Amino acid sequence: MDLAWPLRLASDEMEAASETSFAEAICVPFLRNAQNADGGWGYHPKSESRVEPTCWALHALRGWSGETEALTRGFQYLRTAQLADGSWPSTPAEKTGCWVTSLSCWVLAQAADSSANVAAGLRWLCQDWPADTTPWRRFLAKFSSQRDVAPINNAYRGWSWTPGTSSWVEPTSFALIALEQGTPQSFPAEAAKRRELGEGLLYDRMCPGGGWNCGNPLVYGVPGEPLVVPTMCALLALRHQPSRRENVMSLDWLESAVATIQSAGSLALAKICIAAYGRDWPRNALVFQALYEKSGFLDSVQVAAWTSLALAAGSDWLDPAGAKAI
Amino acid sequence: MREQTLVPSFRRPPSKVVIRRVANYEQDLSTLIHESLSTFSLTVKDKTVLLKPNLVGLDPLGVMNTHSAVIAATRECFLRLGAAQVFVGDGPAMDRDTEAIIESVRLREYLGPLGNTFVDLNVDDVERIRLQTHASRLRELYLPKTALGVDLLVSMPKLKTHHWAGVTLSLKNMFGIVPGSCYGWPKNVLHWAGIDRAILDINAAARPDFAIVDGIVGMEGNGPVQGTPKGSGVLVFGNDPVAVDATCCRVMGLVPERVKYLSRAGTFLGHLQTNKIQQLGESIASVRTPFAVLPAFRTIAE
Repeated sequence: MDLAWPLRLASDEMEAASETSFAEAICVPFLRNAQNADGGWGYHPKSESRVEPTCWALHALRGWSGETEALTRGFQYLRTAQLADGSWPSTPAEKTGCWVTSLSCWVLAQAADSSANVAAGLRWLCQDWPADTTPWRRFLAKFSSQRDVAPINNAYRGWSWTPGTSSWVEPTSFALIALEQGTPQSFPAEAAKRRELGEGLLYDRMCPGGGWNCGNPLVYGVPGEPLVVPTMCALLALRHQPSRRENVMSLDWLESAVATIQSAGSLALAKICIAAYGRDWPRNALVFQALYEKSGFLDSVQVAAWTSLALAAGSDWLDPAGAKAI
Repeated sequence: MREQTLVPSFRRPPSKVVIRRVANYEQDLSTLIHESLSTFSLTVKDKTVLLKPNLVGLDPLGVMNTHSAVIAATRECFLRLGAAQVFVGDGPAMDRDTEAIIESVRLREYLGPLGNTFVDLNVDDVERIRLQTHASRLRELYLPKTALGVDLLVSMPKLKTHHWAGVTLSLKNMFGIVPGSCYGWPKNVLHWAGIDRAILDINAAARPDFAIVDGIVGMEGNGPVQGTPKGSGVLVFGNDPVAVDATCCRVMGLVPERVKYLSRAGTFLGHLQTNKIQQLGESIASVRTPFAVLPAFRTIAE
């Protein structure tokens, strides 16, 4: 009989409790204190409110009770920041929407009184095509001297970071997640087609050994190295096919990479992703508290939010069906 | 706010470039860099300085990014020269986890606590800048307030070839000030605007006041990430980023006039011609180390 297992279980429980209390003692107060008077969050405390950190902070605070006022103000900031065409800009002075539109739709879908905002955002997303794969561009690409530098299938079309540019893994992943939100009736007509093309693009851009980088699986014949953040984004966007070979390969890569992760941001995102696929967290991973003591998370609102999401029990923020509007 | 005045090269005074031979990163870099900086009339006392290294990706072997030993020694020298504050900042283009990159190059070990020193330019507060030049179709850019607000901006690239631009030196290094939070990872809007042209616009908007190139170990071939390490054993210093890049090209066995963006930069951002560059320290011939380039850039080789 293995007498060690009850001890291991007890140790796992203690570790989980201590990590949850770390999130409660460090991450949540940090986020609460970093909220600006306008209801938004900047990338760092006392910096200008921006859409992206506001979205992550809202996801994180939704996991904790007693944050209703902060959430209400944060959601209001996002609704106010929306542009007339339904998109969101990366920075308040900007008048053109971009990739953060997906993040806003994702989090606002879980808020009350925001369905019109989300519907307008999703419409914009479905109309925002990348510029590199128009029929004309695809025709020209056949004659380009650079066509074999980074061979990709340009029949697939995802989403770009900014309008009028190329598809990349992270904005495509965020858009696919945003398009899971809401009800089927509220989806724009093009949503199904966009999803199909976007998923195809993600699989096409996977690195040969699994995992993703920003979207260059091969350059001049040399395989690209996968990275944690884009891999996490793609795997979350594709998690409805958990047994698909590419997902399993990529998850295997992510699991093997955990031991080498030296930053809290990547560690948190890896933990979120591995938990979303129901796998156990590798025992050789670093501990968040140790990383915090080393770097203070470099005062990053996003890292505090991701860590809180990684350590808080439950993952209903990832699951539109389980999401509860406040 | 740094004032940017574009001056045609024929109206610029000659530039000064210093080449120093350095065997490895364990050498006393601080003394060497201090001596080299002292040959320039830099007004540093009570000024704020931003050192902008080239941090591209995870790099435990120190062949892709500006080496942390060079960054730390340079910071120490600017503080010794009386700078009020010396920040280190970059906005990596391919990976948004900047902390992972700086951990991989052990920047904290070299610099100490990074809290008040390091600025992730990808997520800094930004300011809209109307571009004075129209080399590319870009009309404006949002740029980080830290890069725009310091008194002295120092570009600190690694000596590398680049698979799209030919070479990546102190001018191309300025792509790193364009914030990923606005333009993504990679900053694809710059590729769409034309890399060569975007380099010119960015440098016209935020021209580095000084450049220090880490060529102790550089990269040849399929740079800036997947190339082959190439030891050149030099640090190159200068008060004109165009002159520094031109000198680096000559050290690499490349012809700067044939590098598209450098050739145009030589008309309004600095000096390209050797007769306008006061060359101090080692001669180019004595440190010349030809770098391999991809077939697409065969024409830029001597």
